[in-house]
Amino acid sequence: MTSPDELESRLLALGESVEVACPAPADVARAVRARLEALPAGSGHLPPDLPQDAPGAPHPHRSWSLLPAPWRLRGARRTPPGSRVRRRVAVAVTAALVALFFGATPVGRTAVVEILRFAGVELRIGNPGPLPSGTPHPLPREGRSSLEEARQRVAFPIAVPAELGEPDEVRVSDGGRVVSLLWPGVRLDQYDGALQVVFRKELGPPWPEEVNVDGFPGSWIPAHHSLSYRPRGGGPPVAARIAGPTLIWQRGQVGLRLEGVTDPTRAVEIARSVR
Amino acid sequence: MESVGTSEGVPTDDDEAIARSLAGDLSAYEALVTRYSALAHRTAAMLGAGDEAEDVVQEAFVKAYRHLATFRRDSPFRPWLLRIVANETHNLTRSRGRRAELTVRLTGLTPQGTDGAGDPEHVAVAVDRRTRLLDAVRTLPERERHAVVCRYFLQLSEAETAQVLDLPVGTVKSRTSRGLARLREEADRDLT
Repeated sequence: MTSPDELESRLLALGESVEVACPAPADVARAVRARLEALPAGSGHLPPDLPQDAPGAPHPHRSWSLLPAPWRLRGARRTPPGSRVRRRVAVAVTAALVALFFGATPVGRTAVVEILRFAGVELRIGNPGPLPSGTPHPLPREGRSSLEEARQRVAFPIAVPAELGEPDEVRVSDGGRVVSLLWPGVRLDQYDGALQVVFRKELGPPWPEEVNVDGFPGSWIPAHHSLSYRPRGGGPPVAARIAGPTLIWQRGQVGLRLEGVTDPTRAVEIARSVR
Repeated sequence: MESVGTSEGVPTDDDEAIARSLAGDLSAYEALVTRYSALAHRTAAMLGAGDEAEDVVQEAFVKAYRHLATFRRDSPFRPWLLRIVANETHNLTRSRGRRAELTVRLTGLTPQGTDGAGDPEHVAVAVDRRTRLLDAVRTLPERERHAVVCRYFLQLSEAETAQVLDLPVGTVKSRTSRGLARLREEADRDLT
């Protein structure tokens, strides 16, 4: 007869010999951070007294849990109280119906209504399909740097918005083609080459709006959308990630994209303050 | 736990990382995610998230961040986080239907280690024994399986298991011992 201790130690050994596929922890951390940065401003920590949102409590009556996971996961990103959940379900269902409708027509699958190229960004506007999920990949040869060092390494002037002050982090990617400045929840990418496509965004409604940034034309993208990077000198694009509302504009030959500020007026205010 | 870290660089313990995350420092939270990523994936996979463990874990970390203010700072972070992971996994498997969940689980877990040292026959026997024990764990009723998985595969204490599965400690004890009794029957059948 198998003794209790023997069975328990066999189980412990079995547990240790079972391998579970797990992405690199740093990638997971980056993905989680990107998702937190994509959350609307002001939706950081929830107040402690939201019993219906207690994360450990099961949600037995939430109908959105019946939706397929990608929708459900997206819908559940913020865990709003009842009425907003219902509205979100309605939005998700509408989106699913729209996807079904477009998917059912042969042209619908690749229904890009319009392609705009502006400030180094290609906007593919139409029926974008489901938003990307999973772990976002960093830009090619992305590395941390100081602002001073970055200024020496890249060929274009790096702008810093006075409204945000010194960035917490500076990253230089793709041999100095892109400089990213990061503040909590906010990311400003600047890139050389307004002539080439540096980023591609695939988006559906609500549509982008034209804005004016100190006399320069800009575009405000209010919806979450798919963002992918086109490396310098060709090569395969970096896998798409989900991006939050974004302002794109151009200063001289430099393209800029500001992500993480959800209010367009505030975004333009920040954009105007670049020095 | 006492915070011994500085205000810059990688936080040295959970409490410091949590304090800085609460203040909006996403780098500190990244450190916390990095620290618990593997365990969270293991938990999600073993509780039935299957191929979707990655999505479940990301979602759980996003939720944990958003609810960090509800975390009691004098208690350990690990079981609090794993409870969110377990809950997300539960929501996912229930939305998928239990049958589907079990099929996904079957492909995910394969024993990698071996008992025998070098001898191919020993290795084969050991792998076979483990495979059969694993199969027996898989076929346990879900409640007992979750308790056994938490206690032995994730090596959580009874108290931690109770918190993660949102059960009284007594229930964890009884489900674990019922699960062990079933497994023992299987194991004894193997030996005869």
